Amino acid sequence: MSVSTRSVPGGLAAIVGRERLSEDPAALAGAAIDGRAPRWLVRPASVDELSRLVALAHDAGLAVTPRGSGSSLAMGRPPARLDMVVDLQGLARIVEYSPDDLTVTVEAGVTAGQLASLLGAHRQFLPVDPPGAAGRTLGGLVATNATGPLRCRYGGLRDLLLGVRFVQADGVVTWGGAKVVKSVAGYDVPKLMVGSFGTLGILAELTLRLHARPECERTWLVTFSSASAADQLVAAVLDSSIQPMRLQWLNARALGEAGGPAAPVAVAVALGSVEAAVVEQGERLRDLAKRSGGELHGVTERWWSAWDRILYSGQVMLRVAVPASGLAATASAIEEALREDPAHVVAACAATGVFTIIASDAVIGTLPRAVETLRSFVSEHGGHVMVARAPQSMRGIIDPWGGVDPSAFQLMRRLKQTFDPAGTLNPGRFVGGL
Amino acid sequence: MALTSAFVDALREIVGSNGLVLTDEGRLVYECDMHTFYKGMPDVVVLPERVEQVQAIVRLCRTEHVPIVPRGSGTGLIGGAMAPVGGVMVGMNRMNRILDLDFRNRCATVEPGLINLWLTKAVSEAGYFFAPDPSSQMVSSIGGNVSTNAGGPHCLKYGITTNHVIGLEMVTGKGELVKTGGKVWDRPGYDLTGVAVGSEGTFGLVTAVTVRLLHAPEAVKTALASFASMQAAAEAVSAIIAAGIVPAALEMLDERMIGAINAGVGAGFPAGAAAVLLIELDGPRAEIEIETERAVALCRERGAFEVRVARDEAERALLWKGRKEAAGAVGRLAPSYLLQDAVVPRSKLPAIMREMEAIAARHGVLIANVFHAGDGNLHPLICYDDRDPVQLERAKTANEELLNACIAMGGSVTGEHGVGIDKAKNLLLQYGEADLNFMYRLRRVFDPDGVMNPGKLLPSHPACGEGFRPVRPILPEGAWI
Repeated sequence: MSVSTRSVPGGLAAIVGRERLSEDPAALAGAAIDGRAPRWLVRPASVDELSRLVALAHDAGLAVTPRGSGSSLAMGRPPARLDMVVDLQGLARIVEYSPDDLTVTVEAGVTAGQLASLLGAHRQFLPVDPPGAAGRTLGGLVATNATGPLRCRYGGLRDLLLGVRFVQADGVVTWGGAKVVKSVAGYDVPKLMVGSFGTLGILAELTLRLHARPECERTWLVTFSSASAADQLVAAVLDSSIQPMRLQWLNARALGEAGGPAAPVAVAVALGSVEAAVVEQGERLRDLAKRSGGELHGVTERWWSAWDRILYSGQVMLRVAVPASGLAATASAIEEALREDPAHVVAACAATGVFTIIASDAVIGTLPRAVETLRSFVSEHGGHVMVARAPQSMRGIIDPWGGVDPSAFQLMRRLKQTFDPAGTLNPGRFVGGL
Repeated sequence: MALTSAFVDALREIVGSNGLVLTDEGRLVYECDMHTFYKGMPDVVVLPERVEQVQAIVRLCRTEHVPIVPRGSGTGLIGGAMAPVGGVMVGMNRMNRILDLDFRNRCATVEPGLINLWLTKAVSEAGYFFAPDPSSQMVSSIGGNVSTNAGGPHCLKYGITTNHVIGLEMVTGKGELVKTGGKVWDRPGYDLTGVAVGSEGTFGLVTAVTVRLLHAPEAVKTALASFASMQAAAEAVSAIIAAGIVPAALEMLDERMIGAINAGVGAGFPAGAAAVLLIELDGPRAEIEIETERAVALCRERGAFEVRVARDEAERALLWKGRKEAAGAVGRLAPSYLLQDAVVPRSKLPAIMREMEAIAARHGVLIANVFHAGDGNLHPLICYDDRDPVQLERAKTANEELLNACIAMGGSVTGEHGVGIDKAKNLLLQYGEADLNFMYRLRRVFDPDGVMNPGKLLPSHPACGEGFRPVRPILPEGAWI
């Protein structure tokens, strides 16, 4: 029996064209993940091209890593195999924007910044504000379950992703969810794709729920001399009818870096509504601040962009999650674990108990041990510590994801085996090496 | 199917004689849910009280290839909690404890048999509530709400069940006890909690649920706007949503519903109203004062001839009274009805209302409406007399046409009731073969042997009765080198 053979680069070029296929060593080195350069870098311009690329890779036994803006490449484990990087920034169409329905459908390569300019004209927004969001692709934000301070009021991407088109490991284009704000038709496939890190399918198109931008937004900083006093304010705000858009816990360094007043700890509160309600809730916040011994400072909205820049800098970002009741104790544990790094920045979404830490590049050598210390501390609270961004050297020493409940991991492994038995999609980089 | 006496003995060993229902009259209660059209009696009903029993039941049934049908309070509307091929029904009602109330972390962990409203009652004094509020909340169980991903009037602002479930403990169809999510957010790995909510008992049996509790709003404002036409009311809904106002609830009733309710409980909806909108806003007092004024103005601009705003709790209760009596009032319109749950994009409400009138006229059927207009979730009641087969056929045809119209406008076949046995075939309207194939394989991850609630949620292939085949992209033949 004769079998015809075809060259992979010839097949790739036939799909995307020569100009969107890179085999040049310099370009490939630039697309390296954890020091491993792919053999091909491709930039599909449509979902159909993406589908055929993945089908080819699957049949040829290649490993594919999808990427958007590249902001999260220093996340996860090093790839177990890597043959082809698929750059999705060419999938950049706004498919359908329906302002009256507060929904939008976009291709995965559209950046959050591009979407924000489109929506701003209609006084609407996608309330997802992780560090550096403006330049990051929406597909990347969904795949990494990126989150920021607005989570406090609007929920996470799992609450905002209504529908998703993705390419399965064998190239089959698949749709899950719906384009309307309410649907329970079939399994909730979009939930499965949020945070799945490109390991079950490559995200191609997203339908997202939007919100109306409040008419008036104001931010206050409440500074404290002790963590327990700050914790008292957080508890009081959460147990009140004040509805903050953002409620962020900041350590001294975070406060200083963003140009705030000097204090050991602070809570940043953003309120959004009609002006009268913001003023009225602001007054109540002032009362609560006074009662918990804090000092209230008004700041401009620019505070949050300064803040965004700080969290988007540095080589190492850690994520620590605990029940929100453990905020103050965990903040102290973090200061203790990172005492060799006086310059570290700590912030937390006080409503969810999720901390973001930016460590100094100078102390990277000491961080693996600090992470271990923190992991043993939070395990008592059922929490976890994730290394969300770090040089490969550090992620080689400790598991960036941390442990997963063994019973849940059994199911995760079966999911991966079911939907990607050949290990085509981003092999090795996700939890437990999935 | 016939169960062996050895099998029944093994079940008795697990739950004791008190936990078994074997008699014909005992099992009759379990032959259907609220969608009484679909009937199927289980061969035995088991009523476990502990997670170990649940796990033992699943393991036994899996070994013996006996189907399992989970059931909460049986208030579902989709034929989800009935046994089309017999087997074992697992009633979760006895597992109804609140395991943990944690106000500082604003969450609670409960057993699945707990009645929805009981949770809100247990936390209201502390100033909290559990947001999902299906109309059945006085009797439906939280496990059932999780299973169908239930909605309710106030889901417009607060989201449906899935937005409030942060952790699960479940026994999968493979008999494994799995814990997913919990009080700590953003656990690494796949969102198993998210994908299990709404799986209608096809993944396994949920044995504990961790839910978010919300702080009660500072103030509530309720208004009732009356319109001379459905069109005008539908346009007012679209205008309110487009203005960025998010009411807690935005409900619409049409002329037929209004007439039936007025004739019954005397809710006092204005005479001559062809449609009413019930608008409820909650949140900070200053915010809802202003937004209520705006919503009222938008209604007047769209032709509302009367708007009543409740001044106190008693007046508010009066405005809601009619809406709450809707289900009971339908009986006055016709002996039977088909209940739809389709969704359209909110901006398409005026268009779907026109289409609905045309469909009703074309088939000579009476359609009454009471629904969650704010999120485009329709609940048309297509009336018929069940003694007349011709009427039933007409109602079915009208139902199909209406579903198709909703899908053509970019909607969904179900917004909050779920799929069950009733709407499984309708998924073909909304999803392609690849999409359904993905869902089939997803189901097998949790339930490899297909023991969990067979025949529900997914359609069987019209041609081969098996799963669906995805279409792969076409590539050149041959090996790649």
